[in-house]
Amino acid sequence: MILYDAHHLPECYAVRLFAALVGAPLTLVPVDVYPGHEHRSDDFLARNPLGTLPVLVDGDTVWTDWQEMLAALALRHDAAWFPAHDPALIGWLGMARDLAASLGLARLIDTFGAPGDAAAARAHADVLLDEIERRRWFGERAGKVWVMPQAHPTIADVAVFVFIALCEDAGLSLRDRPALRRWIDRVRFAPGFIAMSGVFPPMANVTR
Amino acid sequence: MARFARTIAHTPGCPKKRNRAAAKTRWTLRRGGLATAAMTAIDPIVWNDWHPVAARCTLDPARAHTTVLLNQPLTIAIDGAGTITARRDDGGALHQDERYGLVWVCLGTPDRPVLVIAEADEPDRPAVVVGAVAVRAAGPRVIENFLDLGHLGYVHAGYLGDDPHTRVLPYSVAALPQGGIIATGCRMYQPQASPAATEGFDVEYVYKVERALITCLYKSNPLHRDRFDVIYLFVQPVTETTSVAHPLLLCLPDGTTPQGLRAFQQTIFLQDKPILENQRPARLPLADGADTPIAADKSSVAYRRWLSAIGLTWGVIPAPAKAARAA
Amino acid sequence: MTNLATGVWYAIAADHDLVDGHVYRTVLGGHELAVWRAQSGTVQVWDDRCPHRGVRFSLGEVVGDDLRCQYHAWRFGPTGACTFIPAQPQMKVPGTIRARTWPVAQSGGLVWTGIDPAGPVPDLPPGTVARAIPIARPAAEVAAALVALEGLAPVVQPLDAGTTMVRAIATDGDVPRADRVLVALRRRLESAV
Ligand code: FES
Ligand SMILES: [Fe+2]
Repeated sequence: MILYDAHHLPECYAVRLFAALVGAPLTLVPVDVYPGHEHRSDDFLARNPLGTLPVLVDGDTVWTDWQEMLAALALRHDAAWFPAHDPALIGWLGMARDLAASLGLARLIDTFGAPGDAAAARAHADVLLDEIERRRWFGERAGKVWVMPQAHPTIADVAVFVFIALCEDAGLSLRDRPALRRWIDRVRFAPGFIAMSGVFPPMANVTR
Repeated sequence: MARFARTIAHTPGCPKKRNRAAAKTRWTLRRGGLATAAMTAIDPIVWNDWHPVAARCTLDPARAHTTVLLNQPLTIAIDGAGTITARRDDGGALHQDERYGLVWVCLGTPDRPVLVIAEADEPDRPAVVVGAVAVRAAGPRVIENFLDLGHLGYVHAGYLGDDPHTRVLPYSVAALPQGGIIATGCRMYQPQASPAATEGFDVEYVYKVERALITCLYKSNPLHRDRFDVIYLFVQPVTETTSVAHPLLLCLPDGTTPQGLRAFQQTIFLQDKPILENQRPARLPLADGADTPIAADKSSVAYRRWLSAIGLTWGVIPAPAKAARAA
Repeated sequence: MTNLATGVWYAIAADHDLVDGHVYRTVLGGHELAVWRAQSGTVQVWDDRCPHRGVRFSLGEVVGDDLRCQYHAWRFGPTGACTFIPAQPQMKVPGTIRARTWPVAQSGGLVWTGIDPAGPVPDLPPGTVARAIPIARPAAEVAAALVALEGLAPVVQPLDAGTTMVRAIATDGDVPRADRVLVALRRRLESAV
């Protein structure tokens, strides 16, 4: 499968990371979104009229929604990551989209000079992070290791991880959100994990 | 998803198309209506120097670019004919120039032109503007990190170094005649030194700091092993503890597209960003003994001492007077 | 930086905050702290600042009995002494290179530290440690508001001049209730500004 990819966007990272976690081979085609604006080129808009990244292509099938890509890859490689029977999955994927519109937007404004109201985006993200921290803390106490109740990690973990792990780029801190920091480490240490710039890979030679 | 939805009147590869005539014109002084005396509190070393504030290729006629330089909000506009105008939001005066695809501003009285980069005139080295990245760190911290060899095998593992090849071999540091420092004889095994590298190899480096907030490196090119790729890092001082990094690549042709070069360089800089944003104190401490340098940190020590010697106060914690020594 | 009383034990983490391989991060009276548990089981409270070049230790990882810094991967053992410098692997690390360590006590499900703390750690009633809630108000104001809360034995950790962490023991074991009470208190204090 071919992934049209921008290295710095969390949505693209989500697909790269998830493909690595389930062992799906991807051929990456880098798109120079920043500063090149290649996603506004005729060629790219012909592929995805929305002008968004990532875009996943498999033969005649084209996906332009990153969460749909996660689900498609899960169905093909390891359905345990996609508990479609559980309504909570809808909630978590919605939470990830809210993080994209708040934390993700504040990050693009602060770090890459995109237009928008960073303070408002950050304030929204703060509320979301508080709530996710609360859920994670009680989840931990109940022996739940991942954001969903399943014993196996899900695409919901990947979908929210890619934003929360980059929250400092958006001017947000996890200092007083200890359960989120522990869960981030748990994701980082998952077998097959890959990093993106801004997220530290587990350090080499760690015996654990 | 990508939110850079604004359209732009320039081609993606725009750094190349900037004409050389523009580089030869003298910089312009834009007079403002207000006195600037209030600003003299800012370190004259940075106040009277030139700093990049935008890349031509990211300016958009439909939306003026706003930024901050040395605590002063600026607005940078480009018109349909490609004329760029930088203004201080408080109406104060500034000097403006354009070099290497970047818009440069001096808020004080420039005592010298924008840094001249000889390699920028070599015809087979297209200047590639990487794209500005804002970082919540003091400018001098960003420069010091660029000079650092010991982190390559960790922060840039798999690219510019790798465990267990993390040993920093002895290298030399000297003063530059025009001021600044140079580190020579730096060697590092790199698994992927650049986008064109197909195998790891021992890369040779030379680092220079020519101005307080400008640094560059010369590094072996995987194809032209007798010539060097040149990478500049210009740091725009926003506040004392926040900056915008403007990297510029002057690389030899090796089949890598400008897009590939940019993505690689952005990847590297964004790996450094969380380190820079988690260094304490935020301002770079110049006193000997503030940190614990070892032999591998020679260039960091030399940079800090040089900043002390020239008396920089912006973005640093100056050393107590007795610790400041002449260069 | 707030005035941190000397001779006083402050609770800065719960036992359950410390998991294998992980570095817990907090701040006490303006002093940033990295808290971790070595493989051997001892709990460490250190300045959250690597002596090499000032990077927060809490960015790093615990490897066995060492904490490894994320920037240049220097390792530090449980006494705070630097044990390995990968840039100069042959060098015998000078004993002077050390992380700044803080006193540690564990009691009542909490980790305690302070500046020259004297005497025993405060006794807390039995119960369950509730979730710590940060409140953007000074410690004295938060402490005053906590007096009235029933079923909770709170301990206050001044973070910096304007922010306070509240940890409480839910004496009835009802942690969800304790959480609702503390979050409501946070809302009330922060909106009263
Ligand atoms: S700053 Fe910690 S090892 Fe260099
Ligand atoms: Fe670096």
